[in-house]
Amino acid sequence: MLLGALPALACADIAVTVLDADGAPVGDVAVYAVPRTTAATGSAGPAAAVMDQADSAFVPHLLVVEAGTYIEFPNNDTVSHHVYSFSDAKRFELPLYKGNLHPPLRFDTPGVVVLGCNIHDGMLGYILVVDTPWFTVTNAAGEARLPALPDGDYAVHVWTPRARAGDLPRPRQTNVSDGSARELRFRFEGKLMPAHEDRHGRSTLTWDRY
Amino acid sequence: MGQILNALRSIALPALAAAALGTAVQGRAADEAAAPTRSAGRHDFSIQIDTAWNVPSSPFSAWVEGGLGKLRYDESDRGLNAARIFVDYRARLKPGLTARIVADHVGDGGADADGVDVGEAYLEWRPVPTSANRHRLRTGAFYPPLSLENGGPGWSSPFGVSFSAINTWLGEEIRPIGVEWSMRRRTRLGSPQEIGVFAAGFYGNDPAGTLLFWRGWSLHDRQTRLHDRLPMPPLPLWSDGAIVGHEEQWLEPFDEIDGKPGGYAGVEWRYGRRALVQLSRYDNRADPYAFSGGQWGWHTRFNHLSAQLALPRGFGLIAQWLDGSTDWLTATTPDGRHTPFTEHVEDTLEAKYVMLTRLVRDAHRVSLRYDGFEVRRDEAPPQLVADSGRAWTLAYRYERPALFDVTVEWQQIGSRRDLWPFLYGAQPRARERILSVGVVLRLDSSRLR
Repeated sequence: MLLGALPALACADIAVTVLDADGAPVGDVAVYAVPRTTAATGSAGPAAAVMDQADSAFVPHLLVVEAGTYIEFPNNDTVSHHVYSFSDAKRFELPLYKGNLHPPLRFDTPGVVVLGCNIHDGMLGYILVVDTPWFTVTNAAGEARLPALPDGDYAVHVWTPRARAGDLPRPRQTNVSDGSARELRFRFEGKLMPAHEDRHGRSTLTWDRY
Repeated sequence: MGQILNALRSIALPALAAAALGTAVQGRAADEAAAPTRSAGRHDFSIQIDTAWNVPSSPFSAWVEGGLGKLRYDESDRGLNAARIFVDYRARLKPGLTARIVADHVGDGGADADGVDVGEAYLEWRPVPTSANRHRLRTGAFYPPLSLENGGPGWSSPFGVSFSAINTWLGEEIRPIGVEWSMRRRTRLGSPQEIGVFAAGFYGNDPAGTLLFWRGWSLHDRQTRLHDRLPMPPLPLWSDGAIVGHEEQWLEPFDEIDGKPGGYAGVEWRYGRRALVQLSRYDNRADPYAFSGGQWGWHTRFNHLSAQLALPRGFGLIAQWLDGSTDWLTATTPDGRHTPFTEHVEDTLEAKYVMLTRLVRDAHRVSLRYDGFEVRRDEAPPQLVADSGRAWTLAYRYERPALFDVTVEWQQIGSRRDLWPFLYGAQPRARERILSVGVVLRLDSSRLR
């Protein structure tokens, strides 16, 4: 009773819908809310995350984590991989391995980390490191929900590698208070690049020579 | 110089093979010492046994027996033939450094091809990218990256039994021994567009072009190994302006004759796994007056344009076009002498193919290919047609990846060779057909874990 009345625990959701220029929903878009007031904190600290490799693809294709998260890169394929990134947010390489050869890596700097495999040219993955504990990714219907944000002011951002840098929608300012949910709609103005096609199953043509 | 390079080829490749195998054994010991979940996975291999039941129909005997035919088999070969047994092995020596060896046993007699020999052997270095540019360096003996048809292990084709005329020829006479640099990059973050460039300098391949003039283009699946000595149609012997007989001749297509390196270079554009276009130039820079080890230099160079496109519903389209020429000396003797009839000539080499393929339910593939090809001399009228023809190839393949596949292929080649009556007393026009049922058994390292 008494605890429920404490204002610090007041919280609400932000529901987000992401559409392309034609109004069609866009899945696999990162959505994150950066608090503009110091009051809106309360993260339990970054958790651990996993970027898997299966069927010569990174799974998930886009992983969002809070700065400070440790990410594990297990290789569950039957072939070896050699994962690397040359992105400024995190330069690293995990030489030639299968299984869980390498210990998890800590991602401290917010930004985009592009992943590749030095053996399989077609492999491409992304890690988006954000400076907030409130993040998620849209589903196939272009919808995402940031649950239980403490009251306060937030800037809500969206990001996908399919949008050219200038075509990303501007962050939206919103206020969470009185426990009432907010609904936001984002729309990409420019045409999105096609989603990366992972090598699932057999291919009609040969794109990477044996 | 040529002899030294040829000796290097003989010594260096087995040494490379031994080094890779040595590291393989070492690597395995290291792997076993570690826990099973902590493997470095240093070895990838594919072992393959190709056999085929062939029903050929041709007025000529097979070229691999020194005949005039375009097919690998002639009517005396009707029945079951062991086409090829090979292992394609990759040892990851260090992160970014790989040794690859394709060791082949080819079943044809007559081509002086018994035993096991190496088809490709090279070291590949891929430094970990520090920018969007992905570099690769290869050194050894390898195929230039031209074929869009031969992307399987051991340069095999996933589409059917025989290769197109262009790729059959690359398999017969082209195997650069040198250094290749290539680079690929995405045009921008997140973009499916990639551009690539490649360039190479090489020795060897100086007699390349010989088979195209003397025998003509061909369509089959036999790849020349590095030390193979190929048979050729018997060369005419000249006296008083007339052919008075024939002399047996053989070809070592990868020999270095003049000590002068050749080169190739190209550019590539890709759009994800949907489209690819490549343009390149190849020049062996051989001296047509040079003779060494029983082989003449043939100055062979060509431009090459290729493209492939993934279409809806599992369809795919592939095309390659090769346009080039070769400079050589006519009417020489096989022991390296000129005759009064010796002349420096230039012949045009041209070939193209278009293939439509469809893969259904990841297991059934149907491919239809049209090939056109020509060898002609334009300079002195009337134009001389050494070889001109076209071929249709229809193949159905049932495929269980990394286990086996079964292919039924029908092929018809129509060709005209104006020199045949003059050189061999044979008819100028020929229609050759072959029905093949190919069975491939495969053991792939990815299946063992």
